[in-house]
Amino acid sequence: MAEASFKKILVANRGEIAVRVIRACQELGIPTVAVYSEADRPALHVRRASEAYLLGPAPSSESYLRIDRILDVARRSGADAIHPGYGFLAENPAFARACEEAGIAFIGPRADTIALMGEKTSARRVAVEAGIPVVPGSLEPLAGAEAIRREAERIGFPLMLKAASGGGGKGLRLVARPDDLEAAVARGRSEAESAFGDDSVYLEKAIDGPRHVEIQVLADRHGNAVHLFERECSIQRRHQKIIEESPSPFVTPELRERMGALAVALVRKVGYENAGTLEFLVDADRNPYFLEMNTRLQVEHPVTEMVTGQDIVKLQIHVAEGRPLPLRQEDLRQRGHAIECRVYAEDPERGFLPSPGRITALRLPGGPGVRDDSGVYAGCEVPIHYDPLISKLVAYGSSRQDAIRRMTRAVAEYKVLGIKTTLPFFERVLRHPAFLAGEFDTSFVEKVFAEADRERARPIDVAVAAAALRAFRDRQAARLAPAGDGGTSAWWRAGLEDLHRGRL
Amino acid sequence: MRFDATVEGRSLRVEVRGKDGRYTVTIDGRPVDVDLEETGRDFVSLLIDGRSYEVGLEARDGGYTVVLADDAVHVDLADASRGAAAPPPKPASGPARLTAPMPGRLVRVLVEAGQQVAAGQGLVVMEAMKMENELRSPRAGRVREIPVREGQVVEAGALLALVE
Repeated sequence: MAEASFKKILVANRGEIAVRVIRACQELGIPTVAVYSEADRPALHVRRASEAYLLGPAPSSESYLRIDRILDVARRSGADAIHPGYGFLAENPAFARACEEAGIAFIGPRADTIALMGEKTSARRVAVEAGIPVVPGSLEPLAGAEAIRREAERIGFPLMLKAASGGGGKGLRLVARPDDLEAAVARGRSEAESAFGDDSVYLEKAIDGPRHVEIQVLADRHGNAVHLFERECSIQRRHQKIIEESPSPFVTPELRERMGALAVALVRKVGYENAGTLEFLVDADRNPYFLEMNTRLQVEHPVTEMVTGQDIVKLQIHVAEGRPLPLRQEDLRQRGHAIECRVYAEDPERGFLPSPGRITALRLPGGPGVRDDSGVYAGCEVPIHYDPLISKLVAYGSSRQDAIRRMTRAVAEYKVLGIKTTLPFFERVLRHPAFLAGEFDTSFVEKVFAEADRERARPIDVAVAAAALRAFRDRQAARLAPAGDGGTSAWWRAGLEDLHRGRL
Repeated sequence: MRFDATVEGRSLRVEVRGKDGRYTVTIDGRPVDVDLEETGRDFVSLLIDGRSYEVGLEARDGGYTVVLADDAVHVDLADASRGAAAPPPKPASGPARLTAPMPGRLVRVLVEAGQQVAAGQGLVVMEAMKMENELRSPRAGRVREIPVREGQVVEAGALLALVE
């Protein structure tokens, strides 16, 4: 395809990432088309796009995963490009291929690259061919229970069980002992089957005390490829990232240069186009091992944008239009430090269980160096059908300490009422000595929860006064309101009952 | 207006007087002067002795969750004039109920009725919001009842297991 500016971009996603992509398009002056499910009619991405069309019922299998309906909307609306965001169809080679065949630009890599890197063992094989160290383990997917058992004996325990078509921590299990293998395989395969429609798995030796460090890459179809340095992603719960930062406090200049070179080598080896991320585990001796490549925009891309000054979504659109990358490796530098906290509708006090529901009230942080990539608003519902990420809070500072203090301030400003969120958990992490020292690995979250939290002098008087005043004022408002006004709170009703009993 | 408040297991007698944003809240005999301004739905700004507090209030059964700068405090309130007592503290023993924290599908039931379980042991696996979540026993004891089966779709609050 020749170089051409897109006339209209369809965003095949929802939530914060759809809003993020729409914002980039608006800044480029490109009209946008949103798609939505029946549960998402009030969603923010529908409100922000220039046009919006219904896909189908709430379950993603009937809406956001329907390739036929999305392409139909693209044709009807005259969109000439589709941005897939992350999740849903972003790494589905059939979707990229269907776009290619429909003559609609897919803003991402080619379908064959997605397929190659999407099957995790073939990605491991091509990495080995490119001379990149990988975690010791399987180079082929495993299907039968007997094959899995034999491979586990060969690799040795502890080991990681992973979904061959995996990603996002789904199907992932740490297996400490041979006795645990059977149960882990059953759950891992069932989760992989429901998430990816493929229950094949593979095994990797578990690295002790690993850091999760990834390299952002960008490449065009003219053979230019650069990396945008690393992101530190070791703070995870359920094998899913929850806090990311760039630069990594653990990565030395030598390691950074080495990992960047490895990443660019793999990009060149597979003729990669567009934005992608190579995930590595780094052991305590700072040896990097390639884990997998994510062939899409990453959730945590904003921390890289903050420290490099680049807009990755705009660059994705730029290279998808067939243009050469507008920057060379020597143009890129990391300046300052950025941290991202993923605000999920989850209850950290109950093992990060999802907490969907209505956001009754919302206070957003602001001020210098604070970025909130949000997909919600006060009064909106967090549906039960999708990923519970509601917003990504990013803080930028001149140094790591500056960024942490800024994030602490922003978290205190950020208030979400009506649902539980991960915000209180961040408050606790941001003052944890190990986090402040930059000394943590992927087991950090479990360790934090195993420790007793500090005893704090809690402002009980303030809390009691606030609650009692609210009750008091609700009662008074009920007495003053005309009868039949639909107050719903218990105190309102109690006030009305008093009124009817003549108890004023 | 008087309330019986319960916070962190402590009972407090609370009295509120005043109007138009100026109040005196007396907590167990200690008067606290409060200047209150509503700053949005479910948010108030409080000035107490010159100190500024931005406070969020979430209504919950029996009272409110008060969201402060870096903390949230549960305050239960009962109307003292009605003679309604604050809810009694939960008994330390007796069967413990494991309920569904959200709507979802039961992927696996990990234990059987009659089985002894440890506190924190996984009882069922529920799929919700694209993740499998292992729900754990609230206490050590014997599983009295598992009224659900694998594959079943349950609503939030549905009883999943009874441990005694």
